[in-house]
Amino acid sequence: MSGLAPALVDTAHEYRHLFDMYVPIAVGVFALIVVTVVAAVVVFGRRAPDRAARWHEHNRLEGAYAVMLALVVALLLYLTFTAEHRVDTVANRERPAVVVDVTGSKWEWTFFYPAYEITARSGTVGRQPLVVPVGEAIRFKLRSLDVIHAFWIPALFYKHDAIPGSTQVITLTFSKPGLFPGACAEFCGLRHSDMVFNARAVTPAQFTAWTAAGGRTRTW
Amino acid sequence: MLAWATLLLILFAGNWITDDRGVNPAVAGFAALVIYAVGVALILARREAIRRGAPPSSGDPEAEPDASVAAVIVGLSVGCILFGLVWARFLVYFGAAMLVLALGRMAVELRAERRTLARAKGIREPSE
Amino acid sequence: MDRRRRPDEDLVSVATTTAVRPARISGWLGAATSTDHKRIGLNLGVCSLVFFLTAGVFALLMRTQLAQPDMHFVSDDTYNQLFTMHGSTMIYLFVTPMAIAMALYLVPLQIGAAGISGPRWALAGFWTWLSGGLVMQSGWFTADGAGRAGWFSYVPLSNATNTPGVGQDLWTMGVILAVAGMMVMAACVLVTIARRRAPGMSLLRMPVLTWTGLASVLMVVGSFPVLILAMMLLFIDRQGGHIYTGYTGAIDYQDMFWFFGHPVVYVMFFPFLGAAAEVIAACSHKRWFGYTAFVASLMAFAALSMAVWSHHMFTTGGVTNQYFAFTSTLLVIPAGIEYFDMVGTLIGGSLVLRTSMLFALAFFLQFLIGGLSGIFVASPVLDYHANDSYMIVAHFHYTLFAGSVFGFFAGVYHWFPKLTGALLREPLGKLQLALMVIGTNMTFAPMFVVGQQGMARRISRYPTHPGWGTANLIETIGAGVIALGVAVFLANVLVSLRHREPAGDDPWLGHTLEWATSSPPPRLNFERPLPPIRSYAPLLDLRHEAEDRARATHESSS
Repeated sequence: MSGLAPALVDTAHEYRHLFDMYVPIAVGVFALIVVTVVAAVVVFGRRAPDRAARWHEHNRLEGAYAVMLALVVALLLYLTFTAEHRVDTVANRERPAVVVDVTGSKWEWTFFYPAYEITARSGTVGRQPLVVPVGEAIRFKLRSLDVIHAFWIPALFYKHDAIPGSTQVITLTFSKPGLFPGACAEFCGLRHSDMVFNARAVTPAQFTAWTAAGGRTRTW
Repeated sequence: MLAWATLLLILFAGNWITDDRGVNPAVAGFAALVIYAVGVALILARREAIRRGAPPSSGDPEAEPDASVAAVIVGLSVGCILFGLVWARFLVYFGAAMLVLALGRMAVELRAERRTLARAKGIREPSE
Repeated sequence: MDRRRRPDEDLVSVATTTAVRPARISGWLGAATSTDHKRIGLNLGVCSLVFFLTAGVFALLMRTQLAQPDMHFVSDDTYNQLFTMHGSTMIYLFVTPMAIAMALYLVPLQIGAAGISGPRWALAGFWTWLSGGLVMQSGWFTADGAGRAGWFSYVPLSNATNTPGVGQDLWTMGVILAVAGMMVMAACVLVTIARRRAPGMSLLRMPVLTWTGLASVLMVVGSFPVLILAMMLLFIDRQGGHIYTGYTGAIDYQDMFWFFGHPVVYVMFFPFLGAAAEVIAACSHKRWFGYTAFVASLMAFAALSMAVWSHHMFTTGGVTNQYFAFTSTLLVIPAGIEYFDMVGTLIGGSLVLRTSMLFALAFFLQFLIGGLSGIFVASPVLDYHANDSYMIVAHFHYTLFAGSVFGFFAGVYHWFPKLTGALLREPLGKLQLALMVIGTNMTFAPMFVVGQQGMARRISRYPTHPGWGTANLIETIGAGVIALGVAVFLANVLVSLRHREPAGDDPWLGHTLEWATSSPPPRLNFERPLPPIRSYAPLLDLRHEAEDRARATHESSS
């Protein structure tokens, strides 16, 4: 795995884990139906019309099939609910190492670190990164000044809306260092395409050095 | 409708289990009750329409209009009024006037339809 | 009867075999004012097809802009108008009205009725819808352009502060008019099914397409009023009314919008499912398998459709995600039954691979990709990533385009002979099918990949990211191939109408009552007495009886 403390929720891991369970089921169902249809076309494609079968209903079979589908649904829901519980509930119970106030506005992101009084901006105004320590829980408080934006970091497989008039609290963890692009996912008007940012995940030591320098010097 | 109301109740129960905020049970119960009542009322009032069996054949002639200028103008005048709300006030008045005229015309058409139908019945009855 | 007739009285035919008179208004005006459900259905279908071509042009312009990273083919603002109007036109002015047009035309024929209930209502509804379409598109001719807040125009983005301008007002009014008109027409279909079924046509003997139509109009009547209300409030808000304020205002709008927005997705699917089902049954010479279970699954779908809306709002933090994940995933059961019935119809049949049949099979197989990806996004954890990305764009284009539009073309190739009396050309049809299958998958399959890699929806420019340029170029070429396929279709229609190959009453050995009348059907649909109705495939029953009789005489003589 990713070398995290077991308590920390890694959204990317949760997504991949669930995705990898869903994919074989979907591919299996798709392949089964395609093969059946193609086989039916090949086998029954050359019969004379008056030799077409007349049977047309088998409710007991349909019932059994529906029960089977219900079991698949139950399995999918079990997997989903387990993962959802970790991503939505367990993650927010974690004690955050850093709190970042994220404010969306047309068309920029403002990242404010209240503990260090550091502000970074990204979007149409420029490209200052969101700097975060690796392997620690980071609490984001999402707000919006004007319209609905959505805070999305594809590498974490997670996004959440920033809706005016509310503060949405999410907790995320970066499992490896690096530069990860982020974007506004909810259409927000004229320059929606430019409302992008980069997240820079650094070691806790580098992060401490960065905050000590007031966010002005690169420490990586 | 009855099945629908039952489903609604089940879904409300599901919601009550999964969500701690939940829906007010009184509201939920009332909504389900209203749908049940509508379902029962339908069964009592419209047995004709929702009965499972086959509808009987009726020998009565039915009127089937061929064309209706009035209906076209009703549709367009509603469009005109709403367009006028955005674009220009006079279109609202114009559309409203058209709507009134169209409804008048509709009354004429409906009267004519009734007369034709009565005449058709008059023609049929002696022959039967 | 000597009394002089008033001119108006001639506008009425009477549904008996003796009193039918031709319409007094003829020609162009007659076609526009006709209360014949076939004429209204045809007018609605042709108008929505024109809107389909319009929205297709918008799509081609967008795909050109996205062919390469950081292109400047159109401005950001124009791009925003293009995707808003592409989505709005496709949904409010093409797929939904086309679904209703099919129901208007075919349902009365399939249940053996002489017409629809409330024909004047339906006619007024059609003109309301058309004026809505024109009002919505008229935004293009205003100084600041058409609507530009997306087809669901979330508040506060769509309010007067964030999207000023007449174009968005015209969009709002256009949506109200179009949706109200469709609601009225759907109500007419509903009442027709309730009251005008032919003797012997019980609910459980209604053909499959009629059942899908019934499920659709039930959802229309149940959910469209909510959208009309939401849009009226949006209009008042835009006039300075302060309706949708703050967080609750934003969430309330989304709740109301998607309470309409999810049922409408199934309204845009069911009649085409019904069409594909009728085509597969007719081309298999075997009645649709599992009728009872199919009807039950349709009703389950219709009921659930109004309990899943918030799966569009998983990332808002304002809804109960587990509950809506539960109801949404439950849809697997009725959807699975529909596929089971499709396969059950094929097995044991005698299959003829006409163009209509190929389109119907492509409908089921391609929709499956959309449906299976739908199970993914019904899971909040997976949707947190997929929502508002190109994965969602791919998902709903696989359902709506690779699904519904293919079902629509299956229906066109099947019923065009009934509508016009002329057959469409099979070779051109197969060419169209090939182009469209290739184009569709080229356009929408790569979107799953770029979406998974983090490409957001509705961006007019995207950064240079490894692979995105190539993937988007493939998509753009695919869109061009689709356009070519649609052009082949239009050519096919023109050729087939110019040089007619007469179809006869029943070219495909159909199962349902519309094949028991002339092509096109007469004003009051049936001039010959209806065959006895003992199941949902009355004409197939007749053929089976004839076969049995022939076999019995053959055996007794030998």
